[in-house]
Amino acid sequence: MRLSDFVGQEEAKLGLLLNAVDPRCGGLLMVGGRGCGKSTLARLYRGIMPGKSPFIELPLNATEDSLLGGIDLERTLADGRRALQPGILSRAHDGTVFVDDINLLSPELTALLMEPQDRGVELIEREGLSGRRECRFSVIATMNPEEGGLSPHLADRFGLCAIMEVLDGTEERLAVLHAVLTNNGLSDEPTDPACLDVAKARKLLASVCFSPEALDRIAETAERSAAQGHRAELFHYHASRACAALEGMIRVEARHVERTAGLAYAHRRLLPGEEEPPPPPNDQQREDGRGDDREARQGRQDSVDGDSPDESGKQGERDPSGSTKESSDREEVQPTGQPFAVRNIALPRDRAKRKATGRRTTTRTVGRGGRYAKSLLRSADRDVAVDATLRACAPFQQERGRTERLIIERDDLRFKQRERKTGHLVLFVVDGSGSMGAKQRMTAVKGAAQSLLLDCYRKRDKVAMIVFRKDRAELVLPPTGSVELAAKRLALLPVGGKTPLTAGLLEAHRLVKRTLRNRPDTRILVILLTDGRGNHSISGKPALDEGRRMARMLGEEARCDFIVVDTEQKGSLFRTDLARNLAEMLHAQYFTFETLQAEQLFDLART
Amino acid sequence: MTFPFTAIVGQEELKTALILNVIDPGIGGLLVTGEKGTAKSTAVRALAELLPELETVRECRFQCDPRGNLCTDCREREAAAPLPRDRNKMRVVELPLGITEDRLVGTLDIEHALRHGEKRFEAGLLGDANRNFLYVDEVNLLEDHIIDLLLDSAAMGVNTVEREGISFCHPARFILVGTMNPEEGDLRPQLLDRFGLCVQVAGLHDRERRMDILRRKAAFDDDPAGFGEEWRQQQEELAGRIEQARKRLPAVPLDDGVLERIVSVTAALRLDGHRADIVIMKAARALAAFRELAAIGNADIRDAALLALLHRRKRLPFEEMGNEQDKLLGVLEEALPCA
Repeated sequence: MRLSDFVGQEEAKLGLLLNAVDPRCGGLLMVGGRGCGKSTLARLYRGIMPGKSPFIELPLNATEDSLLGGIDLERTLADGRRALQPGILSRAHDGTVFVDDINLLSPELTALLMEPQDRGVELIEREGLSGRRECRFSVIATMNPEEGGLSPHLADRFGLCAIMEVLDGTEERLAVLHAVLTNNGLSDEPTDPACLDVAKARKLLASVCFSPEALDRIAETAERSAAQGHRAELFHYHASRACAALEGMIRVEARHVERTAGLAYAHRRLLPGEEEPPPPPNDQQREDGRGDDREARQGRQDSVDGDSPDESGKQGERDPSGSTKESSDREEVQPTGQPFAVRNIALPRDRAKRKATGRRTTTRTVGRGGRYAKSLLRSADRDVAVDATLRACAPFQQERGRTERLIIERDDLRFKQRERKTGHLVLFVVDGSGSMGAKQRMTAVKGAAQSLLLDCYRKRDKVAMIVFRKDRAELVLPPTGSVELAAKRLALLPVGGKTPLTAGLLEAHRLVKRTLRNRPDTRILVILLTDGRGNHSISGKPALDEGRRMARMLGEEARCDFIVVDTEQKGSLFRTDLARNLAEMLHAQYFTFETLQAEQLFDLART
Repeated sequence: MTFPFTAIVGQEELKTALILNVIDPGIGGLLVTGEKGTAKSTAVRALAELLPELETVRECRFQCDPRGNLCTDCREREAAAPLPRDRNKMRVVELPLGITEDRLVGTLDIEHALRHGEKRFEAGLLGDANRNFLYVDEVNLLEDHIIDLLLDSAAMGVNTVEREGISFCHPARFILVGTMNPEEGDLRPQLLDRFGLCVQVAGLHDRERRMDILRRKAAFDDDPAGFGEEWRQQQEELAGRIEQARKRLPAVPLDDGVLERIVSVTAALRLDGHRADIVIMKAARALAAFRELAAIGNADIRDAALLALLHRRKRLPFEEMGNEQDKLLGVLEEALPCA
């Protein structure tokens, strides 16, 4: 199949063509759901590149070594001269690196992959080898946002980004099928006509100049967008020019600028939560509130019908303070309360048999990342410890009849054992429902969460945050090393609406699974801040039952620890202790606001 | 070809902070934080072209200063005969994220060992970086064990290697420059404090300046050599001014009046430790030298304090930077009335 035969996805196709014409367009990130053809398109890219240029697929399980290169031991020992085993990046010079599902690649590797982009040069400083070589390549990558995000910082490194459409029209589907049928039969495909267009455009490129309006339009677009920095307009500039060249024009007009604006800005819009803080409650939000009201009433109905055995679902809706209606109707943003010192939370010994010691954990690593700790006689991968090997062979040199070169035998080989600090992820799951709004309880919750965040900051954990309210749970902060960002997001969390506890737990479960699939050695601590009064069901089953089932399922994840912070007011007449119940299901440690605070004397005595 | 330093639009604070470190390497480096895509890396890399020459020991791998601390090799050579001298241009040495420990501190020269069966020390990046700039892009993404090593030698000014049966010691005084995007993660406080100065950069929002950026970048991309030629005169002028300021620096007096004013600022802010005082003092002097002044004025101290205190103020990790900035400006206003 050829790119020219591909039906639909015009934006992505244009993005690929522009990069083929001028690599200064900065690569392409294709974002779309399953089956929208993004991987197929990326592979077709190869066919539109005139001449021979490397096209390398980066597998998700690539290691630092395979990316950057390392010492070529056989040649080094055989020749007595250091030899470099080139990595993927070196081989990609003047070509393309393709990463399918880049959001599943570990962030460290993504950073290493994108590092030479600005510099145009690869610096090798590894295992006694030092080198500098030109390294210019385009990165073409795909991601499915359902499987996790990409940090805005890394996304920004891509020149262009295409948001893919879902192919759903019958005609389009038929056309795709036709295209697949006609093309599969061909054994020897003629050159892609697009390839000829690209070759022509490349020749033309140097003589393409900008009309004043076009240049003005680029600056204007940049001004209007709230994108950070100046990368967007620089890539937009190159894309517009390549676009004109592709049409065979030698002058960039405003329409070329307009045509490519989507590609240059799609990934540089502000993320939700980074926008200006939501305005104080105004009329528009009242309107939303009214919508909620209906929803909330419905919810109340549900929980009665939902025959919760102890009727706690019902109580959950009726706020102890008596301000039932108000609390679930209005959406508001309460400020963060005063943070306090958090007591020392001792995690239980690792439940999955892994060497762990509570705070930050050192784990033996597989692969070649991490610190070279000591040498071993045997190892699964062939990460040779040259120093130890030399020492091992030294005593036998005379005996083996050494003349000039060292004589090393298999038994002399020693291997490296590496260590790396295991990543810790602290996942906050915050109840943002209306029942949390009464009596400024959300302020107290935010204060508690803030205190826990401070603790994460000291221990250098990664953090993520899920909020559940109204009818859904949302990952408001994907895992990040920036606790500061987490605090900002926390301050902006609104309260209001029903309590979809199950949805919150489900979202947590998803994130846990995803994280562990990606980085199996991560330790995860889930901190759930809620009063446990789930009253919005996602399956149609009674909300409380559903929540318990979900909690039990989540609690079975052995590589996770759980903490439940009960936000219910314990002095009240209507205490339900549902959160305590939830903690039992999760095998979680249970705290209230009071017990969470550090017992100064106790802690001092321990440190 | 690198983009010429003088052709970078705006970002005056960043440019000044870099230049001050060239004038007085004792200032202790620079941390650049801020938005993506704001010429952070471009500016640091462009600095290389403006750097002056240093007096060094000829053929020394560590650019040893003949009048300063010497490496193990130079000390042996000095015992035999007076050290020959040479001049070398100061450099920007880049530390890539994927660096391994042995390439940072140096290690056994494997090739030499294999060929001759002898042990010899092979210098790492810390050796290359001696008396030069050491640049780490995305310093907050650096692995912890690499940061530990950096901190060690930054504190001592010396890199001592005792491993794999070799024993070697060489001076490792480098000007640490790091860039980071704070959204990607925080920096360890110990490392944060190591940076003498800190600037926060943001994009330019003015239409005309945006157009300037576009035009210049486009012109550079199309013809790097021609663009460089266009800016050569400005480049040479600035390099000349820096060289002059370096010569003038020791002559700028640090009298008690200046020191008292510096201390009044840091005392009013109740800062811990003395590093801030020292950095402000050095930066103010370098500023006065660069501005071709005979003495340090209030404006120099004020500007130096703004560069030195951004990352040193006592604040909880989450306190907004904005409020603090107002407070600092207030203190500076009071302590240093600008006539």
